[in-house]
Amino acid sequence: MMRHDDLLDIARRAVAQARAAGAQEAVASASRGVAVELSQREGLLEQATESRSSSLGIRLLVDDRYSSHGTSDLRLDAVEVFIQRAVAATRLLEPDPDRALPAAEACGVAEGVDLDSYSEDQEGLSTGQRRQQVADLEAALMARSDRGALRSTTAYTGDSRSAAVVVYSNGFEGINRATSFGYGATITLEDADGKLPEASTGYSASHDPDLPGLAFVADEAWERALRRIGGGPVPSGRYPMLLENRAVGKVLGILLGPMGGSALHYGRSCLDGKLGQRVAARGFDLLDEPHIVRGAGSRLFDGDGFPTRPRALVRGGELQCFLMNQYYARKLGRDPTTGSTSNLVIPPGARSPQAIAADLPRAIRVESFLGGNANSTTGDFSFGIRGTLLEHGQATRSVSEMNIAGNLFELYERFAEAADDVRRYGTSRVPSVLFDDIQFSGM
Amino acid sequence: MQSIITDIPPLVDRGAAQQPGCGYFERFDIHAGVLRKVLAAALSRGGQDADLFFEHATSTMVALTDGAVNRASTGVELGMGVRVVVGDQVGYAYTEDLSIEALLSAARTAAEIASGGQARQPADLTPRHYADLYPSQRRWDAVGIQERAALVRAWEAQAFAQDPRIQKVQAYLMDGERVILVARPDGRLVQDHQPMTLGWVSCTAEQGDRKESAGYNIAARRGMEQYDGAVVGDRLVEQAVERTLFLLDAGSPPAGEMPVVLAPGASGILLHEAVGHGLEADFCRKGVSIYGGRLNQRVASEQVTIVDDGTMPGARGSINTDDEGNAPQRTVLVDKGKLCGFIHDEISARHFGVDPTGSGRRESFRQPPLPRMRVTFMENGPHPAEEIIASVKKGIYCETFANGQVQIGAGDFAFYMRHGWLIEDGKLTRPIKDANIIGNGPQALESVTMVGNDLKLDEGGWTCGKDGQGVPVGQGLPTALVSSLVVGGVG
Repeated sequence: MMRHDDLLDIARRAVAQARAAGAQEAVASASRGVAVELSQREGLLEQATESRSSSLGIRLLVDDRYSSHGTSDLRLDAVEVFIQRAVAATRLLEPDPDRALPAAEACGVAEGVDLDSYSEDQEGLSTGQRRQQVADLEAALMARSDRGALRSTTAYTGDSRSAAVVVYSNGFEGINRATSFGYGATITLEDADGKLPEASTGYSASHDPDLPGLAFVADEAWERALRRIGGGPVPSGRYPMLLENRAVGKVLGILLGPMGGSALHYGRSCLDGKLGQRVAARGFDLLDEPHIVRGAGSRLFDGDGFPTRPRALVRGGELQCFLMNQYYARKLGRDPTTGSTSNLVIPPGARSPQAIAADLPRAIRVESFLGGNANSTTGDFSFGIRGTLLEHGQATRSVSEMNIAGNLFELYERFAEAADDVRRYGTSRVPSVLFDDIQFSGM
Repeated sequence: MQSIITDIPPLVDRGAAQQPGCGYFERFDIHAGVLRKVLAAALSRGGQDADLFFEHATSTMVALTDGAVNRASTGVELGMGVRVVVGDQVGYAYTEDLSIEALLSAARTAAEIASGGQARQPADLTPRHYADLYPSQRRWDAVGIQERAALVRAWEAQAFAQDPRIQKVQAYLMDGERVILVARPDGRLVQDHQPMTLGWVSCTAEQGDRKESAGYNIAARRGMEQYDGAVVGDRLVEQAVERTLFLLDAGSPPAGEMPVVLAPGASGILLHEAVGHGLEADFCRKGVSIYGGRLNQRVASEQVTIVDDGTMPGARGSINTDDEGNAPQRTVLVDKGKLCGFIHDEISARHFGVDPTGSGRRESFRQPPLPRMRVTFMENGPHPAEEIIASVKKGIYCETFANGQVQIGAGDFAFYMRHGWLIEDGKLTRPIKDANIIGNGPQALESVTMVGNDLKLDEGGWTCGKDGQGVPVGQGLPTALVSSLVVGGVG
């Protein structure tokens, strides 16, 4: 088990030093991590990286003034000077009374939940086992080279363990320990016209057995690279958009940006005043689920030390809450919710993406994005996309060099259906999603 | 896939506190004897080459929000990364603990990439000095919080004074001092002191039922003298306000393929995404760049000359030394339309049998160096800007950008326009905003049909991301016409 008792000592000492230097309140976080990453190409280990890192962060309240600081120089005397200087610098700022810490009784960890985020297997891994795994993955990729004209493939593996503690001057203490195991691959093919279509895929999980397997990753990397051959734009126009589960996160970002307390407070939110109102089609639900066992974004307490709980963000198309931390809640005279999301969930529908596509004469399956941005003040967005033109469910053309554009409200009003293929990796636990009638620009 | 971001620029360089000059790291008990021992450990299993990279960096940010300078943050980064190289293979480890035991342990870990050949002793270390492109007159460690606060307060007051439609203002000053030391088995010992500052003003304006936000930032490798005489501050505020108000009257551009005229300056993002990344020689070494086999071939019209330059005094992307201890260069990538060079680190240079270009860069001691851009720009061409705009019947004119991305193999790239104009019958007729523009790198380069004579280097705080590492870069362009790109509008 990754040690955390000495991290607690570091953080408690930092809080004590901050108070001794004149801070009324302080929150110190200390963390340590070990990570190993390997990549292999053309039968040789290409890069082997081992990181051992530790850091200390501290947030200070000195006479209603606020500042935050971080250091990787953890020598005892260096930390002491660092904190004294930080407190002295904070006194020179202007006051911001809304920066108060939450009341001690509001802080805590969610009860009765075991997130199972730490695997004891990580520490037992040997250099030999790791090298064997990345070699096996590369071999699996190479074994499929009859599928297309391969230019280059690289296999990646990595694992890590970390421990992090947070100590509040109001008495709250929280501990997080996590492991991560992962692997992935990049494949570059040679096109008939000299282009080099490429695709990557990768998975990570807190427990090794939850990963999909090397053969699965090799198959998927090949399939996704082959899909990219001959890519180009199709005529501009409105198409149904079948958004692949792994790409949904970017589109959720258009909605989540203006839900943030900071966007609301600084006048940069197109969702201001929309609480309880419809912002999406009636069938659209979006949930924040912090307690998913082994979930990538799972946590027992949030950035304010509040115990986490599941909450609906959008239900039946109506906006249920904003993402409001303690600070912005006080600024805006509201109750805090949580400052950031954990695992985002869209409940699955009844049909597979294939069944949904089969009913559409023509649709574009969007598989990844290239560039683009969204404006939280207006809700306008424009993103580059790559994907596949589907006609009655059959792939008829690889699509690239196209953009989608529109406005948040128009986009979510066109949400039509969630598929049944929830992706269990990453912080977006969502299925593929169908939107009707989206503006695509290309030829 | 790579990306470059600016609108809320991360402070990449975190600089250090005390005196420059050789021997900075002696305060951490790092002496020549220690360096040689750690290099010897790195080469103990027969590695061909190795480097030690020490870094001490401090950073400060003060923020004005809600009418008060009520937030500040500081950071300290201290550590050493060690790399061992065997052919194209790399072993890497780092430590934040600079005790001799921790340094040796990291070196032995990195050495494991080598299979156990003959150990080698490093040569005697000799300090090497290159040109100083950013002599700082007022180092950030000598500047108090109050002096920083006074700057951002003045920017805020100026912004509100410029137009009654400005409703909210945020102003930030970020600065840092970073000291690095590179030690090599061939005896090279190179130290550099790298200042950085970035001022950023962001506004929200309202007019009727419309509300828009925009900002502007100016970055340089300079000390507090950057803000002497208020010239930089005035431009920062003026641009932030102007860009915000511009959006109140702007509409969405049309959608589809059309000619795109790029304004001088920040439009250099086109070069960065469409060409620059593809010419980073690690991609060529792995056979995944679309430009890989095209050296000495024509890739653009004769009007097009593209340079990546690490030697421009005070520029955000400039470096006195790269992070492998090589002097930076002015590297010509495309000369009058012909591809004539790549961006190399030592591994790719050795692989191709050429000299490194001083482009081996890394975000921090936590990562090994990679071939990276510095300041990328296109040289002047023959055409006045008005002539270029007048040549377009229907298209768009792009002035400012937020971010971009490229896919190396396919060469597909995108960049996001924030401000621009519709061009109708050779004239700028209507303001437009917020559209992603997409194209294919080699095709776009061939489609640069007119190059202006008004080269401008952008002064923004661009940060380039690759393999999870951000490094500060710059870019520039004269007015240029790309005859066809796909514009992600709705009109």
